[in-house]
Amino acid sequence: MPSKREVCSTGIEELDLKMEGGIPLGSTVLVTGCSGSGKTTLCMQFLFNGARKGERGVFFTITEPLFKLTKNLEGFGFYDKKLIESGMVNIIDLRIISERLGLDAEKYTVEDAGALLDILKDIADELDVKRLVMDSITALCYRLQTREMIRDFIFKLGTSLAVMNCTTMLTSEVPPQTFKFSQYEIEEFISDGIFFLGDMERKGDLIRTLQVIKMRGTPHSRTKFSMNISSQRGIELMPLLKSSEFESFLKR
Amino acid sequence: MTDAVIEGIRERVTAAIRVNLSVGIQVPENRHADLLEAIFASMCKNTHDVWSFVSVSKSYDYLKKSYKEIDQFQNIHFIDCISRAAGIGTKHHNCIYIESPGMLEFIILELLNSFRGLKGDTEKFIIIDSLSALMIYNDPAIIREFITLLMNRARSDNIHVISILVEEEMDSNKIIQMNDKIIVLRDSFID
Repeated sequence: MPSKREVCSTGIEELDLKMEGGIPLGSTVLVTGCSGSGKTTLCMQFLFNGARKGERGVFFTITEPLFKLTKNLEGFGFYDKKLIESGMVNIIDLRIISERLGLDAEKYTVEDAGALLDILKDIADELDVKRLVMDSITALCYRLQTREMIRDFIFKLGTSLAVMNCTTMLTSEVPPQTFKFSQYEIEEFISDGIFFLGDMERKGDLIRTLQVIKMRGTPHSRTKFSMNISSQRGIELMPLLKSSEFESFLKR
Repeated sequence: MTDAVIEGIRERVTAAIRVNLSVGIQVPENRHADLLEAIFASMCKNTHDVWSFVSVSKSYDYLKKSYKEIDQFQNIHFIDCISRAAGIGTKHHNCIYIESPGMLEFIILELLNSFRGLKGDTEKFIIIDSLSALMIYNDPAIIREFITLLMNRARSDNIHVISILVEEEMDSNKIIQMNDKIIVLRDSFID
């Protein structure tokens, strides 16, 4: 008899349904989209939902200061300050770690990046996290000077994540209205899965969309869904009405 | 219009929706307000049922002024699709505001959310007022798809759907045919 597939539920009902229960345990998922597409919210919801089930999580930020991040979270129904206070959800500013390591916050050498990776791994191990988020991999790579350094760093990151016993989300920033998964076109190759968060304009309304492009280890839907960010319920999905997409395509 | 005729419409609509999961009501423009009055009377009378009213033709503010009692019932929720698009920023405890009548997926989302956590035996009703007004803001193909998706979801959750079509909008005739039952209101009698 085949063994039961172990999954990590995102806690977003429709998204879990699309992946037959959730993300295969231990996978690395690239959450890609332009500014304002809901990447950070999705990742936070993933962490808080996990924490409610007793799975400790860590959120590494390099784009937003901690006070701003938590302030933005306060309006959401999934947010629970107690989960932060109890250490079930840990939010860590990578710039502060860089500073403490004596690294140049704007430019990383190969050694700096390696040291940072080691620290990330140590923190994850020490906290025994089951869910990890890095927001964003694009901003982290931006601090590396050459394409070779970026490639090297991303592959090292992939190797480190593969041995960690946790499910990871890496956010990736792409320009609006593009069907591209990453800035450096390498990030997707170290990922087991890709959530593509996009926008679609319909008669002047900008509608958020979500599509599971790939997810190794589970059958999944590749249909584009419309995505709502509700303060009460966080991310919600609904099948996208196809007629609109066709019209939008014709207008391009 | 006399109370007796409104009561007649109310009974007709109530009877039809109890036995059919979806009912389309075709109404001439000059009888639209009477139909709404009959529907609101039904909503207020059946307090054990849960109703979600999607308004595309009139703002919730306007409905509240015209039918004063509608905000006093816990079992009635409104989804106002036009106030925000018209720049009206008011808020009410029993009304959810959709940014634009073109955000059809979010109308369905809010409808389904309004029925979450109810007891299994609760009768649930959706009223779309109106398909004609939705067609002012959307193309016919997408409205057809919207109604199909809504009805499929509603049928699987055992939710009754009443969709109103203002007769003068002939384009939406094909869409109303998707209902289990169609009621045509006339100036002087009910078909």
